[in-house]
Amino acid sequence: MKVHRKTALLWAAAITALALLGIFFWNNRRRDDGKNSIIFIPKVIDEDNDFWKLLIEGVEMAAAENNMDLTIVAPETEDDYAEQNALIEWAVEQNPSAILLTPSSFTETTPYAKKIVESGIPLILVDSEIDEDIADTVITTDNVKLGEVEGDYMRQYATEESQIAIIGHVEGSSTAIEREEGVRKGLGEYEDKIVDVVFCDSDYDKAYLLMMELMEKYPDIDLVAGLNEYSAVGAARAIKEKGRQDIRVVGIDSSLEEIQFLEEGIFEIIVIQNPFKMGYLGVEAAARLLNGEKVAKHIDSGCELISNDSVYTEENQKLLFPFREE
Amino acid sequence: MSGKKNRFTVLSLFKSVKTTMLCLFSLLIVITMAIFLLISVDYTKKTVLENSTDYTSRLVRQVNRDIDSYIDYMENISSMIIQGGDVQKYLFMKMPKEETEEVYGRIVTQFNTVVEARQDISNIAVVTPERDFIINGGADKLNENVSLQDVEWFEEALKGDGSILTASHVQHVIRNNYKWVVTLGKGIENPQTGKNGGVFFIDLNYKLLKDLCENNSLATNSYVFIVDEAGKIIYHPKQQLLYNGLKEERIEEVLECASDSYFITDERGEGEGKLYTVSVSEKTGWRVVGVADISELMKNKKETESVYVLTAAVLLGIAMVLAIFFATAITRPIKELKDSMKEVEKGNFENTDVVIRSDSEIDSLGNSFNLMTAKIRQLMEQNIYEQEEKRKSEMKALRSQINPHFLYNTLDSIIWMAEGGKNKEVVRMTSALARLLRQSISNDNERIPLEKEVDYAGSYLTIQKMRYRDKLEYEIEVAEDIKKEEIINLILQPLVENAIYHGIKYKGSKGLIRIVGYGEGDHIILKVIDNGIGMDEAALKGIFDKSRASEGNNGVGVHNVQTRIRLYYGAEYGLHFESTLGEGTTVTIVIPRNFREGEQDEST
Repeated sequence: MKVHRKTALLWAAAITALALLGIFFWNNRRRDDGKNSIIFIPKVIDEDNDFWKLLIEGVEMAAAENNMDLTIVAPETEDDYAEQNALIEWAVEQNPSAILLTPSSFTETTPYAKKIVESGIPLILVDSEIDEDIADTVITTDNVKLGEVEGDYMRQYATEESQIAIIGHVEGSSTAIEREEGVRKGLGEYEDKIVDVVFCDSDYDKAYLLMMELMEKYPDIDLVAGLNEYSAVGAARAIKEKGRQDIRVVGIDSSLEEIQFLEEGIFEIIVIQNPFKMGYLGVEAAARLLNGEKVAKHIDSGCELISNDSVYTEENQKLLFPFREE
Repeated sequence: MSGKKNRFTVLSLFKSVKTTMLCLFSLLIVITMAIFLLISVDYTKKTVLENSTDYTSRLVRQVNRDIDSYIDYMENISSMIIQGGDVQKYLFMKMPKEETEEVYGRIVTQFNTVVEARQDISNIAVVTPERDFIINGGADKLNENVSLQDVEWFEEALKGDGSILTASHVQHVIRNNYKWVVTLGKGIENPQTGKNGGVFFIDLNYKLLKDLCENNSLATNSYVFIVDEAGKIIYHPKQQLLYNGLKEERIEEVLECASDSYFITDERGEGEGKLYTVSVSEKTGWRVVGVADISELMKNKKETESVYVLTAAVLLGIAMVLAIFFATAITRPIKELKDSMKEVEKGNFENTDVVIRSDSEIDSLGNSFNLMTAKIRQLMEQNIYEQEEKRKSEMKALRSQINPHFLYNTLDSIIWMAEGGKNKEVVRMTSALARLLRQSISNDNERIPLEKEVDYAGSYLTIQKMRYRDKLEYEIEVAEDIKKEEIINLILQPLVENAIYHGIKYKGSKGLIRIVGYGEGDHIILKVIDNGIGMDEAALKGIFDKSRASEGNNGVGVHNVQTRIRLYYGAEYGLHFESTLGEGTTVTIVIPRNFREGEQDEST
């Protein structure tokens, strides 16, 4: 009896000690386990392109905020979907907690995006979409809205005599279609004043030439909408060269050249997407998915109208001029 | 007694003192440990927080000092350049073209030197509202699309005296520049008008601030940001998030904060608070704010806590073991005392002494117990001795003496025989009497060999046979193997005497007395058998009555024999009478074989 009690007490002490040890190590283990990994595959990593730079900045910041391990891989060029597909396969093999993808192609990326979904890894599409609705969530700029802001702005200056031209980027691309739709929507009753819609295939020179042609064809043209940076800048170059102060140009996206055209007054306004927010929201959505929270199927990262006098406001500076290490 | 038992005491909680002690020890230890843990953890938390705030505030102050020293340096440069006079000369004095170019050259060289020497200076320039300018090495131009009146800081510097410092911004006054900078501007007085006629400014590379704020060794997930007096952000690593409304910063609280103070937020949504440490620069009015996750700062705390808990657990274990050890050690004397008492309770006084180790209460209790048992033992010994003495004297008193009548009768018989000339008979009887007398006188020893006792009875019978002539016959049949056994003396003769006087004497015919002795197991059986008149039931019952003995014949008798046997051998032994009226009586003596007196008591 006496011996039993003694051993029982010793056991109790030992068990208590072990339990405490267990708690101690369990605590430690849990601290290490909380880290999620995420792979981001943009169309391209281009330090000189503000859009990608800001998008990646947003992704990086959100990853840091959510304490995630981030890997970014991308093809050399924006339209190299084959290379991107190979990278997707590689990423699936790494079995990360989530994959963020900016699909290079609306159609060609789809089968590979499916592979991500099939392997059970959450897929978040950023900036662009694919032709099947398989991603957990899609974070894009509302392209219709983007066009609508342009159209809305132009409508203020539209008259019955107006001649409006739209310079698109790639004919048949989803963004081009949606943005054009938005412009038409924004113009409202002046939609029928659109005299021409041309496409520059995302080429400055082609856009420039197209604008030159338009100015010849429609000498009274007074409103021009560029649907992306290439088309807008190309058009602005032509207009500047011709000295046509009477033509109001609106553009989408920003670049230094675009801002300078804005400062010069060639551009009336530019509508910019918010790639930083896009990237940030993308990773945040991933974090929330991994936390078991519900995330909306589509998230709009918003757009911003920038006019000549709002370029250098505190807020817009950051959107327009990414900080560059020199 | 029972009323007392029901009262609650600590000891009544558990069955044994040891368990009680153990449980109370454990309780004490656990409570002490818990209190110790709570206090240490709380103290650690305080200390860690104190150290953290101390550390971060020192860090933040350092950042602030660094910035101040930069600004100081920049101000020195601007003062130096402005006081050099060349700038004023170039801007406001009308000079011959050659001299103008010379001055311009000097200024540009100076600017170039500064820009090239200092990586942290992006631009250095002089600009007038009339759009005269010298920028860096002279290659840069003003941005023709920017009207200077619209540039806030330019206007401010132009109108104010002393230097101004902007928040971080994109430098768009210079064409194609668009660098992120912090601008230090100063109006340049036109000596002719007495008013500022231009602005000298130095652009501090934003990277400098970024590096200063980021190259600090704060914990992970912490950051440093800078706001100016108005709450405008000079630098914030998450500026984008703030502008996009994805995050909020506690700028108002920071602005309310005194210098070198801190506050802790408790963002409920995130569950963990943040430590804001604020340092205000007297020079710039900027507030450098360090923000750190409390949870990150408390990382060490968690480890320390774990160590505490672990140590406490180990100590607890050791303390428990020690408690068991101590409880056992303390209660051992009590247990020994208890065991001893149990023995004494059973009546065993041998080897019950408790070992005395010290002079504690328990040991003095043991000591008293020892004294008590010794005293009891002594008293018992004394008692036994006295009892023995008493018994011995009783035995002596009870020992049968030669009946004087018998002696007288025998002597009378001898005389008669002598007168009748029966010498032979006289010799026999006299020698038998002599033997009888010798034995009766000489035996101081209570115990004698059985054969001697039988001889004694034999001598008696010889005399009686001669006296009663034809009336008495006797036979002695004692087994050889018990002849040497020692028994108490003078037990057979009284029985024989009894048989003669109560059995044979009244018998008309010749009587026979047989003495039979044999061993039976551990007992010796001695029988005195007569064929006398026998006894009826009533007589048999009253055989041991003392009165009967005294009433009768020889004074001693059966009763005394019985008493002596019992006194000597114990109550289970003694005499047994069987008698049939008219046929005779058999007295059986049962006594133990190989009896040692020491076996029962300590008499000598």
